[in-house]
Amino acid sequence: MDVSVTFTLNGKQVTVKAPAAKSLLRTLREDLGITSVKPGCEAGECGACTVLMDGKAVTSCLVMLSQVEEHQIVTDEGLVKDGKLDPLQEAFVEEGASQCGYCTPGFVMSAKELLLEKPNPSENEILEAIGGNICRCGAYPRIVSAIKKAGGEQH
Amino acid sequence: MNYSQYTVHSPQTLNEALGILKEKQSEVRLIAGGTDVMVLIKDGVLKEKELLNLSYLDELKYIREDGNIIKVGALTTYRELEKSSVVNLSAPILVDACKTIGATQIQNLGTLAGNLGNASPAGDSLPPLYVLNANVKLQSAESERIIPVSEFFLGPRKTKRAPNELITEITIEKAKPGLHYFFKKLGLREANAISLVSVACIVDLDKDKKINSIKLALGAVAPTVMRAVKSEKLATGRQLDLNLIDEIARGVSEEISPITDIRGSTEYRRRAAYGLVYEGLYEALMGTAKRVSGGIEGVY
Repeated sequence: MDVSVTFTLNGKQVTVKAPAAKSLLRTLREDLGITSVKPGCEAGECGACTVLMDGKAVTSCLVMLSQVEEHQIVTDEGLVKDGKLDPLQEAFVEEGASQCGYCTPGFVMSAKELLLEKPNPSENEILEAIGGNICRCGAYPRIVSAIKKAGGEQH
Repeated sequence: MNYSQYTVHSPQTLNEALGILKEKQSEVRLIAGGTDVMVLIKDGVLKEKELLNLSYLDELKYIREDGNIIKVGALTTYRELEKSSVVNLSAPILVDACKTIGATQIQNLGTLAGNLGNASPAGDSLPPLYVLNANVKLQSAESERIIPVSEFFLGPRKTKRAPNELITEITIEKAKPGLHYFFKKLGLREANAISLVSVACIVDLDKDKKINSIKLALGAVAPTVMRAVKSEKLATGRQLDLNLIDEIARGVSEEISPITDIRGSTEYRRRAAYGLVYEGLYEALMGTAKRVSGGIEGVY
């Protein structure tokens, strides 16, 4: 069964027609051209598909398309303003906080929720916030540095 | 995966949802936060071809104080519980447990009703609900009833919820200020780990460390979450010291009936339960365990 769902994606209203039980992850990638969200485990365990839903980090593989009507979804693409990277994204670049890069967008979105709530998080708060994201290259120290740096710079 | 085979009903009100449920009963699978159901869909193992999406029922998203009771709307997320001031003040053991569920992304989605309805013996919000004397409210189009959480579960994935009923509210008793409490979980890593053993405990110690009362509930060590009733009984009224801690922890490890599975063996789980109970009570003895603050922040 297909449904037509309208929601806000990166600040713009979109309407998408797709199977009602399709995951938000698959809808974003296959129907809306948003490829920063990565399919990893598709079971909520790796965090590679993390997006902000109404300002909260969620794994988009566990959200059903039928559940996002009138919600606000923000992906990495949505953090870029007027062609300029968000300070958090900038910090990831400057710190070299990725190797293969597959997990990076998910880490950025988890960190974004944290920074929206706590502009200057402690290391423990950072580790807690990214606990649901896995980096198989093992870039964790640089990821943490990048988030710290963005925390300091943004505010 | 073939998403097209599923039909999704998305009611906007509780009445509408109960009406659909009355008609469809077991034909529909309930989906709230989706943290379990979406994985079943992805794996192609969801039996039902119709889903009842509860995510728009805003009337079931609340946390309210009512005297000595906290009423929690069934669709309240773990994260909302973690951030609630009344839950932090009077039922902090539930906060500690919710923080161990999955990771932030899961806590933002998963709901208390989902943890109850899913009925996993390893559901981490459940042991605290047992020691907080929680009640589960079930509503159908025709009637409603309230069941103590300790009687709600029939076995793994089995509850007393009838096919035409929805869990609509969970009520918990506030814990008295000053009580010691701990929630301890052993998983294979910090985040996104299913419990091998979890323990929730609220203990009332007098100033000489005599146990006035103690409640101990354990997860992942029996077909349902269980209270360690025998061990509670042997501990009540006695002086808390290292010998008694050993006796209680041993009692608990014998009272439980864990299975061997992919995450750990029966013997390992017994030892782990011993260790978690010992550690928690040791902290209570030493005065380093957390205490319920009640209405006044920062008293303990």
